[in-house]
Amino acid sequence: MTATLTTPPQTTDEQPSPKPKQKVPLTHRLNRFDVKASPYLYIAPFFVLFGLVGLFPLGYTFVVSLNKWNLLTGPAGFVGLDNYVAELTDPFFWNSLFNTISIFLLSAIPQLVIAVVIAAVLDQNIRAKTFWRMSVLIPYVVTPVAVTLIFSSAFDEKYGLINNLLTAFHLDPVMWKTETFPSHIAIATMVNWRWTGYNALILLAAMQAVPRDIYESAALDGAGPIRRFFSMTLPSIRPTMIFVIITATVGGLQIFTEPKLFNPTTATPGGPQRQYQTTVLYLWDLAFNRQNFGKASAVAWLLFLIIVLFGVLNFLISRRIASGEARASRRSTARRLARIDEQKTSVSVAVPAPAPAPAETVAAPRTPPDDSPTQEHRS
Amino acid sequence: MTFSRRTTRITAVAGAAAAFALLATGCSSSSTPATTGTATDPITLTVTTFGTMGYDDLYKQYEADHPNITIKATNIDTGDNAKTDWQTKEAAGAGLPDVQAVEEGWLSAVMQVSDQFNDLSAYGANDIKDRWVDWKLQQATDTKGRIIGYGSDIGPEGLCYNKTDFAAAGLPTDRDAVATLFGGSSATWDDYFTVGAKYKAATGKAFYDQSGFLWNAMVNQQKEGYYKADGTLNVDGNADLKALWTKLSTATASGLSANQTAWDWGKGKAFTDGTFSTFVCPGWMLGVVKGQVTSAGGDASTGWDFANVFPGGAANWGGSFLTVPTQSKHPQEAADLAAFLTDAKSQAAAFGVAGTFPSVTAAQTDPAVTGTNALSTFFNNAPIGQILADRAKGVVAQFKGPDDSVIQSQVFGPSIQEIDSGKADGATAWNDAITLLNQLVVNK
Repeated sequence: MTATLTTPPQTTDEQPSPKPKQKVPLTHRLNRFDVKASPYLYIAPFFVLFGLVGLFPLGYTFVVSLNKWNLLTGPAGFVGLDNYVAELTDPFFWNSLFNTISIFLLSAIPQLVIAVVIAAVLDQNIRAKTFWRMSVLIPYVVTPVAVTLIFSSAFDEKYGLINNLLTAFHLDPVMWKTETFPSHIAIATMVNWRWTGYNALILLAAMQAVPRDIYESAALDGAGPIRRFFSMTLPSIRPTMIFVIITATVGGLQIFTEPKLFNPTTATPGGPQRQYQTTVLYLWDLAFNRQNFGKASAVAWLLFLIIVLFGVLNFLISRRIASGEARASRRSTARRLARIDEQKTSVSVAVPAPAPAPAETVAAPRTPPDDSPTQEHRS
Repeated sequence: MTFSRRTTRITAVAGAAAAFALLATGCSSSSTPATTGTATDPITLTVTTFGTMGYDDLYKQYEADHPNITIKATNIDTGDNAKTDWQTKEAAGAGLPDVQAVEEGWLSAVMQVSDQFNDLSAYGANDIKDRWVDWKLQQATDTKGRIIGYGSDIGPEGLCYNKTDFAAAGLPTDRDAVATLFGGSSATWDDYFTVGAKYKAATGKAFYDQSGFLWNAMVNQQKEGYYKADGTLNVDGNADLKALWTKLSTATASGLSANQTAWDWGKGKAFTDGTFSTFVCPGWMLGVVKGQVTSAGGDASTGWDFANVFPGGAANWGGSFLTVPTQSKHPQEAADLAAFLTDAKSQAAAFGVAGTFPSVTAAQTDPAVTGTNALSTFFNNAPIGQILADRAKGVVAQFKGPDDSVIQSQVFGPSIQEIDSGKADGATAWNDAITLLNQLVVNK
């Protein structure tokens, strides 16, 4: 009996003690766990997917590029950086790079200029806005394969629409598919047709976000539409501009579908003499026609590095260009103010002002000494 | 740091496998070596073919005879694209169909990984291997003696010509007279180019669409092509090939080539507007010609005919095999389907639709092949089956090396374009080809 007497207190003793321990800390702990872990769970899908389809292939490609690797029969020994060395000395690689950059420049520059113009026009108070905005996006909706089919018929050398028109006007037909420069123009045309509207809409969205009242006050100050566009619109959409330029760079350097399908029956992908064989097309050819998976992977990595390089370069350049206008106007204001100041020099000496306008704080670090006169704003 | 083929395969497929694991279980119920599936256990067989193989009606018939089997067929436009498709899926280790059509031109690549195909001997190949002409079966047998493919068609070459254009040039139009004109059974390439010069003089027009197909035929006619039978390269310093190249480039330089884009021909227009008047035609090409003429708005009255003659003697271009990749979940059923599609009756039926000349001896004499059909009507009622049977005599299978298609398309392709467009003379173009050969094949 003593035993039975002694045990209950033990159990009762134990029961209450775990109870508070289990009850309160459990929710507590769950709460803590929730606060700490669930954000990771929420963002996990992206990172899992990114790891699976982004990071893993990147790493795997690098491993492949360090091996002699036949597409079908698999790896045949570690060769280190030999594939990279071989590709960097291969004239076909450089030819493909030249073609890619040439097509990229021929497409990106006109495309972005036209997109900005279209966006600026759409940003005006025009009738049937939605109709016009939808219209510019339509080319983007058409699949690239269909675009290429239509354009490659139009650019056909013997039976194509364009050469028929040229010969109707007694002009020489252009060898769109077998000469380097015409073929680059033809492919750039397809890219431009498809992407201009898309970029225009993105830029338009950015333009819409520019506060209207600053336009009004600029108009009151006597700034014409062109002046307003260059001095206010362009600097205001700078971040979007940079985004558009970077995506255009990445897309432009990875161009594949258009040159692949431009003359799909040619024995060598990218033109009989590789006139428009872009780098991606070249690596595709290496992997799937020549079965050299190792070299193809090396080319893929080289292209990756080149795109990163171009991206950084474009980022820097576009930042300068977009802020250049603001800087120029600031400079001219400064000059004018300086002139006024000169007249007052005898009276007061310029003292550096504490904090310039927020827009300038961004530009300030990159605008060395010669920009210091801006601070004469204060007067 | 080498990887065994197996492990790399597994890593490559791991992602896809995870994603499809659920789907796959749906099919795995019949992965037990089932014989022909039962009505209660329906299965789907996937088939990938290319070009014009003429199987659509046969699929329907097979499905009707086997209620438990559904066939999901994919047809890829050209053999080259089908090769890319196969290679991608083969390298990924997933996605191949139950029955995969393989072209002779890429058979060498297939043979590199012949262990990835089922040995059809285990599924009844030995019972039916007398069906085929010897060399066709030989081509589908790997070095270990495994039969990995059932031969479908072969590509004996005859000469297509346009009798309207021939009449305009004052040449005979009757197909027997045309065969004689080109030299009959002893026709040579010299004869062909001589007639071409006559034609050119009379009409001012080109004689053939482009030089690539002629070069292809010339190489295929040789006992040994780009490779010697022992597997060594046979291009640089090959006097026979060089002489043929000179012949071809001289004729081309004199304006006999229309410098057309092969496989495009202005969306078929060049076939109907008299741009050229002769065309090299393996059996399967007859279906292509018909398709091109039709798509450009032409029909039988456009005047294409088929003559029992070929410059330089017997030549074979292409021909396919039906294989069963080891990825197939239903190898037995797939092999049965492949056997059905390549039996004499089916081959004869496919011939009527697509002009794919049978590789099965019994089919070659089948009335459906020797008689008239939709295709022969198009070719001015030419007895195309009989002509092709004649043209098949003396064909020998040439050894194709691993880089055969690269040499054909990337080494000689640019040079052919050079001579066709007049950018370079024959000698320069040949040297360019050798340079490319060294770059792409010898020092790859």
